Amino acid sequence: MTRMRFLTGTGIVLLLIGGAMQAYHPKLESPPVTAEIQAPEEVRQILRQRCYSCHSNETKLPWYDNLAPAYWVVRGDVLEGREHLNFSTIGAKPEAVQRGMLFESVNTVQLGSMPLPRYLAVHRDAGVTPDELATLRHYLETPPAPAAAPAPATAAETQFQHWIASNGKPMGTRPDTQVQPEWNGVPFLPEYKNWKPISSTDRWDNHTMRQILGNDIALKAIADGKIDNWPDGTVFAKVAWLQQPDGKGGITTGAFQQVELMIKDSKKYASTEGWGWGRWRGDDLKPYGKDAAFQNECISCHEPVAHNDHVYTAPIGGAQ
Amino acid sequence: MKQLFAAISFVLLLSGCSPNPPKTVYPQLNREAEVHGGLSWNPRSGRVITSWINPGGTMTTLYGDDMAVNYARSHADGAYPAGAKLGAVTWKQQEDARWFGGRIPAQVASVEIVVAGGPYERYEGSPLAAVPGSDAERAQFLLQQRAAVMP
Repeated sequence: MTRMRFLTGTGIVLLLIGGAMQAYHPKLESPPVTAEIQAPEEVRQILRQRCYSCHSNETKLPWYDNLAPAYWVVRGDVLEGREHLNFSTIGAKPEAVQRGMLFESVNTVQLGSMPLPRYLAVHRDAGVTPDELATLRHYLETPPAPAAAPAPATAAETQFQHWIASNGKPMGTRPDTQVQPEWNGVPFLPEYKNWKPISSTDRWDNHTMRQILGNDIALKAIADGKIDNWPDGTVFAKVAWLQQPDGKGGITTGAFQQVELMIKDSKKYASTEGWGWGRWRGDDLKPYGKDAAFQNECISCHEPVAHNDHVYTAPIGGAQ
Repeated sequence: MKQLFAAISFVLLLSGCSPNPPKTVYPQLNREAEVHGGLSWNPRSGRVITSWINPGGTMTTLYGDDMAVNYARSHADGAYPAGAKLGAVTWKQQEDARWFGGRIPAQVASVEIVVAGGPYERYEGSPLAAVPGSDAERAQFLLQQRAAVMP
């Protein structure tokens, strides 16, 4: 009897609290669709069904998502999702940027970080099916019409001549080595170019080729096989060049595009997953972004490999 | 009071259930791409000079010792000082399981070592073993590759 009364009482209190929570229902705006992603209809169809709830201005919530407290969580996810990738406005960006975002989307799906696992736990039929994934991959594997002409070889030549002419002087004494730190304060480390090789990538998605280099601490961790939690002081550099076709079916290293650093310091960079993130573009090494928020791009793109200490590269040992 | 506590726990449970992303990526070395064999010099103990992608699905990185790298990064003529050591590792490619849109090294297809003013050596197989003979043209090709710009 006492038990019965306890349960009924709990039920009533729950209803009262639940009802009271509905009073706080901040609006979820639906701004106009200004430039939907440019892609074939079959691709758009998949995106609409699987991604648009959070990544577009055409959010359609099922009734249970409209009930607080679930509504508060979903609303936050939608606002954050739109900020990172909004299929209703991305059509205004260059084609390469749109394709780049689709590659990132496919990767987050393949690695299981999208749709958000907590979203999928409630919306069980929201996941991308293997057939749909195959359709997206097939679209991206098909090369786009050659829109932009490849970077002229002369630009790479000028860059090279300038670079070799400025070398041969001690590091740090040249005015052009005074590179600005990133917006988040992460310093540029000019010694990156003397670090040892870890791996390389042929990035056919964005027509670049890359070398991944590591400092001594990174190399020691690789030699010791301790790569699940990289030691403080580890630094990786990822250097990217444009792919330059050699006219004989091969591809050579074209103009330098950028260098990115990941600096491990579990205390100093605790708020950014233990890593200091930076990217310097062009041969004048201009810090990427317009404020410290640029690092959200780094972190969200590396989120699928969170269980791998946010590192994508599988290192090739034996570089000591 | 008890009821209120139970209710609040229930609400917290509802809004706080957030499973972690599934573990699809584990810390792993790319073991199959390691360079094994009795080489006269391990090119990957040097520094990167440049890299290229060959027709037919292989990728090469050219490394050099200090003498070679310092020269390559300040000269365009490939006239390395005698004794400068260069090494090219060529890998078969595989799709990067962690990034659709990328290809990364798989098994080593060959290792070539050239010493300026000295011999050219080529290694193939697993473990790598020296392939007899020399190839002056190929040695010259390797010496003529310009360094990739690293400002």
